[in-house]
Parts: sequence; structure tokens; C-alpha cells
Amino acid sequence: MDILKVRDALDVEAAVRAAIASEQPLEIVGHGSKRMVGQPVATNAVLDLSALNAITAYEPSELILTVQAGAPVADVLSLIDSKNQQFSFEPMNTSRLLGTPDIGTIGGMIAAGLAGPRRIQAGGARDHLLGAHAVSGFGDSFKAGGKVVKNVTGYDLCKLLAGSWGTLAVMTEVTLKVMPHAESERTLLLRGLDDIKANKAMTAALGSPFDVSGAAHLPGSALRTTQGPLGEIAAADESVTLLRLEGITVSAKHRATSLATVLSAYGAAEIVEDGASAALWADIRDVVPFAADGPRALWPVWRIVCPPASGGALGQGLAKGSQGEVIYDWGGGLIWAALPPSADAQAAQLRKLVNAAGGHATLVRAPEAVRRGVDVFHPQAPGLAALGERVRNSFDPRNILNRGRMSRGPIA
Amino acid sequence: MTIMMPAADQAVLARRDTIVAALRAIVPGEGVISSAAEMLPYESDGLMAYRQPPMVVVLPDTTEQVSKVLRYCFDNGIKVVPRGSGTSLSGGALPLADAVLLGLGKFKRIREIDFDNRAVVTEPGVTNLALSQAVAHAGFYYAPDPSSQIACSIGGNVAENSGGVHCLKYGMTTNNLLGCEIVLMSGEIIKVGGKAAEPSGYDLMGIITGSEGLLGVITEVTVRILQKPETARALMIGFAEVEEAGKCVADIIGAGIIPGGMEMMDKPAIHAAEAFVHAGYPLDVEALLIIELDGPGVEVDELITRVEAIALGCGSTTCQISTSESERLLFWSGRKAAFPAVGRISPDYLCMDGTIPRAALPLVLRRMKEMSAKYGLGVANVFHAGDGNLHPLILYDANKPGELQRAEDFGADILRLCVEVGGVLTGEHGVGIEKRDLMPEMFSEIDLNQQQRLKCAFDAQGLLNPGKVFPTLHRCAELGRVHVHGGKLAFPELPRF
Ligand SMILES: Cc1cc2nc3c(=O)[nH]c(=O)nc-3n(C[C@H](O)[C@H](O)[C@H](O)COP(=O)(O)OP(=O)(O)OC[C@H]3O[C@@H](n4cnc5c(N)ncnc54)[C@H](O)[C@@H]3O)c2cc1C
Repeated sequence: MDILKVRDALDVEAAVRAAIASEQPLEIVGHGSKRMVGQPVATNAVLDLSALNAITAYEPSELILTVQAGAPVADVLSLIDSKNQQFSFEPMNTSRLLGTPDIGTIGGMIAAGLAGPRRIQAGGARDHLLGAHAVSGFGDSFKAGGKVVKNVTGYDLCKLLAGSWGTLAVMTEVTLKVMPHAESERTLLLRGLDDIKANKAMTAALGSPFDVSGAAHLPGSALRTTQGPLGEIAAADESVTLLRLEGITVSAKHRATSLATVLSAYGAAEIVEDGASAALWADIRDVVPFAADGPRALWPVWRIVCPPASGGALGQGLAKGSQGEVIYDWGGGLIWAALPPSADAQAAQLRKLVNAAGGHATLVRAPEAVRRGVDVFHPQAPGLAALGERVRNSFDPRNILNRGRMSRGPIA
Repeated sequence: MTIMMPAADQAVLARRDTIVAALRAIVPGEGVISSAAEMLPYESDGLMAYRQPPMVVVLPDTTEQVSKVLRYCFDNGIKVVPRGSGTSLSGGALPLADAVLLGLGKFKRIREIDFDNRAVVTEPGVTNLALSQAVAHAGFYYAPDPSSQIACSIGGNVAENSGGVHCLKYGMTTNNLLGCEIVLMSGEIIKVGGKAAEPSGYDLMGIITGSEGLLGVITEVTVRILQKPETARALMIGFAEVEEAGKCVADIIGAGIIPGGMEMMDKPAIHAAEAFVHAGYPLDVEALLIIELDGPGVEVDELITRVEAIALGCGSTTCQISTSESERLLFWSGRKAAFPAVGRISPDYLCMDGTIPRAALPLVLRRMKEMSAKYGLGVANVFHAGDGNLHPLILYDANKPGELQRAEDFGADILRLCVEVGGVLTGEHGVGIEKRDLMPEMFSEIDLNQQQRLKCAFDAQGLLNPGKVFPTLHRCAELGRVHVHGGKLAFPELPRF
């Protein structure tokens, strides 16, 4: 296996052009923390971006950060944290779920586009990627977007790059929107609700004027064996429903009390503050109940996105039918499902239920043999799939970049 | 006219009667307009310096009809220009002499209001304001609020990725959409997204948003709605220097405060607005900030105190704080009426729309003053200060020979300056025809080629809204060609492991 460690965008161009000439697809890698997500990529050459790791510019008062794509997420997070700022889409740290070391680059973070609990309020990775420099499958460096928060000049190519899993272009530098940390946070805890009731409580909370920035539900059975902060709040086999409020202190306090009143029909809420609250949400974001060092390490894990108000029924049906476990985020709009192992990760049955609910499902964790046999990304209606393929083709007609990672379809 | 549109296809024009008859067979009755007098209202959009009668206007009222119209045009090589309410300020909906103008004005129905999923499914011809009004009884609203919201259509908002004074905190159109239905030039109907927070696969919704009618015709939109904040209050703060106002904006954001809206006006804009609406604006200041804070009462009260202190620290000379809803609206009235107010003091004006890094504001305003002297034309500035989006209004008189050209040259210089200081050509009004020829200021040929390849994925014949956004058109076959470089050696000169 060739590993090509690029030093700059010109190296990336040279590598892609050589790949075109030799008809050799490339696997695009930052730190490789998410290599086991997606269809297995057919290649024996790896393009390693990790040496492209400079911070190009950081302007806290403009709310703008420009970094090279190989910059380590951990370094960047501590840099912006030192100015009391954050990526408000709360990017997921996949290391606990996938069982990798705690590594990862900014390029990978954007290419995967896995947003955390605050997505319901602040949007996803695609809403925070303002600009990018990237090398297409033509071997050309191109620029997308700009370096200001408000920009409608030309097509918004950044939206496509976010969540494209390296199949459209190799990002070499990205400009991201950063936002201030909230001064305070409060989390309301409701205990003992079943999935349907919890979904209703979360729907009521998200339909209130209290600007809820996190709404999750963890059934008792999923929590039973969970270590760490989430395990500690769980009482014997009881579910917990969590609702987060962030802002200046007087406001977070006020809204927590008001929301507790609105939700009183669902029980008396406990309130968790600041650091303790943040620890809970970090573990929800990282799907710790299904961690790779926990009892469900061998269970495949699906990430299901669906209309939020139908999440409770969908999740409950799924868990029953599969003997699996589910947890809910985004007010029911995001379901993580860990299912007992099977040859197809129970894909057929799961997708039937998910389709009926108007959602889609991605197989985020499964052994390579399983991933070879199922569609990791959700199969789309034929017209939409064909359009998506034409879009991919418009960036990479020779299928050089992460060939076949997002689709098992026949390769031209 | 100083901007050239693609030459009309005489062969198509010669077939006009056949085309009109074919369209009538698809869209019966009044849905096809072909008389010169009746087509008059469609000759221009909000960029009124440009007019062009279309070949024919068609106003379908079902997705099926849109699909058939597009399929017919596709099969017969006829260009199509989509149009919502025609308020575009960049000429995006300007007709072409040899094109069908496809109006979505009859798509006026809200299809579904789903409070539990905080989503509304609507036809594209519904106005932005009507959407908010339809959910207001339950305390909800649709956040992006362009000043044209009583007239502009939600389909047009999607096509332009429109903003508004609240987009600093709540985002642009693109940040508030869940899904859409589009019809491709081939007539194929595609559904993207739905009520889930994000779509499967590539984010096609993201690329359709802001595509200015070049990728597909939007026939349905699913938007996200929000609960209205409990309260909103505004501060109106005057400064003797633009620099101080700019510093105040930066300090507010630096303190971690993201106001619901944060607008700046310069002296000419303040004077024009005050003369028009009598909002009580101070006339002896160089810059006026209107800052709105929204949320629970306790939060708003606390933030007002903090913002007031920051402003004082930056040297504010006046500061008024609204104590009632009517006073808050009064503060806004001048800003909201800034365009018509400027329209009163000048026979014509051009509204520009660049974005700059906020820190560059004093420099940009200074250079603009110099340009104003050079071109002999006045300029008034309103500014979405929070996100760096400038709206210089260039004053001119179209009846004076050469003034439109001078105004356009002045505008182009301003936009070049925006790019020079690290900004972009347009923050919310779109490229259209107005900024089309300036695209190379911001993008290289390679950048533009990549964008046009994407166009090929949707409309390989280039029949949908041609002549907009891109200064030069290339054939898709040419754009899609991969150049195979050099020798046989794979991966030369790269470090290996
Ligand atoms: C007084 C005034 C104030 C304004 N204030 C703002 C503001 O604050 N913020 C802002 O962002 N803009 C503003 N605008 C600009 C304009 O209102 C917006 O761009 C608006 O979104 C255009 O909507 P429309 O329905 O009028 O679209 P049109 O002008 O009809 O069309 C605009 C573009 O969209 C395409 N299009 C329209 N409908 C469709 C469809 N269904 N499918 C595919 N393509 C379509 C057209 O081809 C064209 O390219 C203002 C305009 C005016 C006149």
C-alpha cells in the first residue's frame, strides 16, 4: 500500500493527476479515525492530509477560523476554546463509538458532517462551513464559498463538501464559523417516561419559546450498563429525558424554571447545572451508551434521521423488532440504534421501518464483512440517486476519490 | 443596457406561434400570456434599469404542468426563465427575448402545517410574510425576513438564498429549510429532503438554495419554523465616528452577545430615512446603530444593560432604548424604509450588496467616499453590521445621459473593493445579471468551471435561465473532459511511507 503524505495543495494536485493517469483510485485520509465508516474503499493508495495542519487565520471578533484540512480537531478546539468560542454544531467525537484513539482532523470532521445535540438549534456542519479550498477529481484546486459569514456568490459548493465523505474533492483548507460559548447551561431531567411520552415531552419543549438546545431520551435498558456521567444519573432501570437550555445565567435559569412548569404533566424535573450538564451532553453527542469498550461492542450501530415527532414510535418499533437498543437525540429526530449482530446488520427490516417514517439510516459501525454486503448509506429514490451520481461525476468523473465509499452501485 | 444577454435564437423566435399553441395545450385558459400589453408586468424584476419582453409568459398551477412545460421546452431547445414575485435586485428573473418566462405566481397554497415537527410544506408562490402569518396563531414564525417580505415568494427566497435583518442570529434561507421538490429541465420531478433535520446522501438542498433558477424549478418547499421569542427590545445608538460604531459592533460580538439584529446607517442614510418617516433619529451623528435583543424579558433587560455599557465604552453620543413595542417598531421604521427614503431624494438609485470582514468597514467607507467624489454621484449606506453585509445605495438620474453607466461603474468599483478587503460580491441579493461580469474578480476560471460542471449535472443543455450568474458559457462536454497529465510514473516526487 502506497501512503502519500502531501505537504501542500500542489502535492494533492500532483497526486490526483498521477492517479488519473495511472487509473488508480485514492483513499483520502486525515488521521484515519473514521476509515471504518462507509462501504469499504477499493484502492491501494492512501492520500494522507495530516501534514497540512496549519492554522491559517483566526479572527475571534469576526467569528471566523481558517485552517488547513489536516489540522487536529483537538488542537483547534482548544485554540477556539481559549477565546471562549466553539463550533456550535457540536461535532461528534467518534472515538468512543468506533473504538479508535482520540484522533481526527478538521477535514474529516467536515467531510463526515456528524453534528451533535445542538443541531436542532444551531444547524449542522454544512451550516458552519463558509469556504473551502479543495482539489477535485480533475486534479484542479478550486475555491468554494468565501471567508465571511454572509455570502451568496455563485453556487454554494460548501454545502456539498460537508458530509460528502471525501467522494467529491480533497479539501485542503476550510473556513469555519465559530460562535461564543454560552455563559451558563441548565439541563432538565425527567425520569421514567416511555419512548412515546418522552417524544411528546421533547416535542412540547421544542415547540416552546424557551430556545431548547438539546433534547434527548435514553431508555433505561440502554443506560443500564453505561459508565460515566450518564450512567451515574441513571437510577435502576429508569429512562431519563434531558432538555438543555443555554445562554446568559439569568436567562438559562429563568427558562429552565419556565420549561419545567410547561412540562409538569410529565413529572417533576430535576435541574443539572453547567459543568455537570456539559458532561452529560458530551456523552450523548458521542453515543457513549453504545461505546466500543462497552457490552454492546460487537453490535452494529445505525444512525437514523427522521421527522422528530415520529422518532418515539419508530425507535420503539425498531428496538422491539430487533431485540436491540435505541437512544434518541434531536427531540426524536436522531435515533442511534445498536442491534444484535447479524449478517446484514438487520438492514432490510430496519430500512423498511425507517422508510415508512420518512427517515433514512446510515450504518455507522459494523465489521467490514457486513459493510460489504449492505448499503451503508441509505438507498435513495432512483431519480434522486441518479442526480446525486451526476453531481459526484461533475467533481470526479474518473471516480478517483474514495471510490465506492458512499454507494455500492455499479461503477462506470 | 450595458450588460449583454445571450443573442436570441432566431429559429426559436420564428416558431413562436407553434410554441404558444403547444404551451396552451399544457396550461389552459389564462395560464399562457402572449400579448405584448399583458406581458408588460413581466418585463423586469427589482433591477428596474433592465427590461426585456419575454417570448411568452406561462403560469402553470400544478407540478405536473411545470414538468410538461419544461419537457416540451427541453425537447424543442427552448430557454426558460423562472420567476417568483419578480423582486430580485440582481436581474435574476429578467426575461430573454427567445425564452419562456415561467411564473410560479399561481402556486399559492400552503400544503401542510406540522407544528409537532416544526415544519411547513408550501407551494413556492406563497409570500414570505404569508408563511409567517399562517403559523402566527400558534406563536410560530419563519425566521428569514427580507425587507421585501410582503411581496417576495418563498420559491424566490430559496432560489436567491435570501437574508434579512435577523439572519445574524437565525441564519439565511439555507439554514431554515428542510426539503423541496424541484423539476429539472428534462421535466423530471425530484424530491429532496423532507421533515427530517438533514437529507440522505449529498446535500442537494444546499446547492439548490441560492442557485438563482439555474438548476431546477422549485415547486414545493418545506421550511423550518420557530417559536417567537417572548420579547424583543431595541437600542438606537449614535456615534460621532464610523470607526467607533464599528468597534462597538465588534465588542458586542467579542462579549459573546449575538443580537437578533444589528444594523448600521451612515449619515446620508440617516438623514434620508429621518426626513421620510420621522423616527426621531439623531441628525448630528456619523453612524447610527439599531440593535435588537430578543428572548425572555430577563435576558433582554440584562443584555440591554451590557450593550449600553459597551456602546458607552466605544464613545457613543446618544443612546435610546425602546420601552414599548411601538417604540421598537419606530426605531426600525427608518431602517426598514431606507430604500424608499433614498428613492425620495434621488430619481433613481442602485442598491449594492457586498459583504466585507467587519474590521474593514472604516476603510471601505472612506474609499467609498473618495469614489463618490470621483464619479460625482452620492451614496448612502445601510449595513447589516453584525455580518458585514453592506448595502451602498448609489444615487443617480437615469434621464441624464451617461449617469446609469457611471452608477454601474461606481457600483462595480465598490464590489471590487469588497473582494480586495477579503469579502465577497454579494451577501444576499444574488449575482443575476448585475454582478455576472464581476465573477472573475472573486473566482478563477477553474473555480467557475467547477460551478458550471455542477450546472451540467442538472441542465446539460443550459436551457434554464441562461445568461445569469456566469460571464461565459461553456459546453458541458468540454467542461467534463479530464486532462490526463504526463508520464506513466504514479505519484512522482511525493514523500512515501
Ligand atoms: C425593496 C426590496 C427589498 C429587498 N430586501 C431584501 C432583503 O432584505 N434581503 C434579501 O435577501 N433580499 C432582498 N430583496 C431582494 C428580493 O426580494 C429577494 O431576492 C427575493 O428572494 C426574490 O424573491 P422573488 O419571489 O421576487 O423572486 P424573483 O425576483 O421572481 O426571482 C429571483 C430569482 O429566483 C428565480 N426563481 C424564482 N422563483 C423560482 C422558483 N420557484 N424556482 C426556481 N427559480 C426561481 C428566478 O429565476 C430569479 O433568478 C429586496 C428586494 C426589494 C425590491
